[in-house]
Amino acid sequence: MILIDMQTDRFDPEKSEFLQPSESEIQTWMSKAFDMGIEALENGEVPVGCLMVYNNEIIGKGRNEVNETKNATRHAEMVALDQVLDWCRVREKDPKEVCEQTVLYVTVEPCIMCAAALRLLYIPLVVYGCKNERFGGCGSVLDISSDHLPHTGTTFKCIAGNRAEEAVEMLKTFYKQENPNAPKPKVRKDLVSPPGGAVVIQVNQGPQH
Amino acid sequence: MEPQAKRRKEMDKCDTWDVLPVLSDEKSRDTELLPAYAAPIIEKRETSRLVKELSLIYPLPGLQHIKRVRACKDKSSPHPLEVIVCLARDVAKGVMPADLLRSQSFDSSGLGEPFLVEIPANPPLTRPQFEKASKHWPTSFHEDKQVTSALRGQLFTADQKAKMQDYMTAAVQAAKSGREMGMDAVGAVIVDPESEQIVAVGHDCKRGAQPLHHAVMVCIDLVACGQGGGAYNYEKYPACQFSSSDFFRNGCNSKETGQPYICTGYDLYVTREPCVMCAMALVHSRINRVFYGAPSADGALGTKYKIHCQKDLNHRFEVFKAVMLNACEALHKK
Ligand SMILES: [Zn+2]
Ligand SMILES: [Zn+2]
Repeated sequence: MILIDMQTDRFDPEKSEFLQPSESEIQTWMSKAFDMGIEALENGEVPVGCLMVYNNEIIGKGRNEVNETKNATRHAEMVALDQVLDWCRVREKDPKEVCEQTVLYVTVEPCIMCAAALRLLYIPLVVYGCKNERFGGCGSVLDISSDHLPHTGTTFKCIAGNRAEEAVEMLKTFYKQENPNAPKPKVRKDLVSPPGGAVVIQVNQGPQH
Repeated sequence: MEPQAKRRKEMDKCDTWDVLPVLSDEKSRDTELLPAYAAPIIEKRETSRLVKELSLIYPLPGLQHIKRVRACKDKSSPHPLEVIVCLARDVAKGVMPADLLRSQSFDSSGLGEPFLVEIPANPPLTRPQFEKASKHWPTSFHEDKQVTSALRGQLFTADQKAKMQDYMTAAVQAAKSGREMGMDAVGAVIVDPESEQIVAVGHDCKRGAQPLHHAVMVCIDLVACGQGGGAYNYEKYPACQFSSSDFFRNGCNSKETGQPYICTGYDLYVTREPCVMCAMALVHSRINRVFYGAPSADGALGTKYKIHCQKDLNHRFEVFKAVMLNACEALHKK
């Protein structure tokens, strides 16, 4: 009897431990996030790739939509979270139950706003590439991910520094395009401007942990 | 009621609340004190020599705001002036205060026995800080008159307060409409202070499928809607509205700058202090000023954070609180 109790206990650990993805899972999903970032870069958009994974399935995929919506809050993460909520609605699933088992993979550290949104929706884990020195909400400017905010959802864990140099490289390339002296890619002008979610590039940035 | 009399009555009501600035920690913190040794100047004519020599032997780096010499508070004191000798932390262990002057190679004639005082560690940035600091030791002070009158609740005229009351009343109304639909009773209004027109009115729309639709997020998106953008549709919420003047339909605003900083130059009135997400959304949207009513437990514009004056962020704005405080607080009472 005691043995069985102990076994059932094993299936009731902290949710984030329960959700700890393996190294190969992280590589797989991050490489998909990077593909999205590269695609955005090729289209002259902010090169941030972002996806939400639940039960080995992508249920939200975001790209920065600040320019087309004229709404400076439409960061990739906010767009992806909306898709998660839609996914839940269509399948009549409880958003909280789904989000508690969902991991965000994103090429750049979420900003303060997005970090708060992730808390409010109970996302337990974020895997990201490079730091966001200008707006980062997971330690760079503020630490919204782990600060004590009892009325702002739950804290989340971060696994940082996955392919950070590549993520920085993508952003650098994007901002070179932004430079009026640099040759402009052939995209609509309104898509070229930096959005509210722009991130600063630290040239001498070392590996992040 | 005569229109004028009505206006008068409204203005009277404004007297029941103050518009208080939410200042940075540097401007609102208590005066930090450093222990130091001072000594009476017994020979007044030695003053300038003593000050010169003391500042060579004991410079006070980072304490440029401290006046080296002060007049004695007590008028009956036998010596009229006192001078800072050094910081207590600069005194080597085992050295007695009385030895302080003898142990140095300078002419201490004209100085009395050193004694302990406390001096302000930081330059005062506001009048209340200056007044508190001055009780310990005199400092210099470069007064920002606007901050001083803001702290006294005198920055805005009665007319300006009457307008604020109009805007906040619209936000309270929106909050009530939201509450009737089962939402949190939070309302927000975005105003163009130049034209004095309301650009957007929104309320909390969290309940249902959109847990991130806080009143401020709704209001920002409504402004975007008015400029031909927007991410959502608010047909289900009749109290959520935006104005789409020709100016916006032509998209002048965003085309000129080419950037979606849609709230540039606009003020927000919101019944409750915004959360972290909403406060940062206001940074991204380049809001001009924020006026809120009641504080909130995890609030990010004064209570838990002061995102509007956060170092490292690329946009700062002024925040005022306690606008129609009672009416805003009443929204959350059953
Ligand atoms: Zn963001
Ligand atoms: Zn909020």
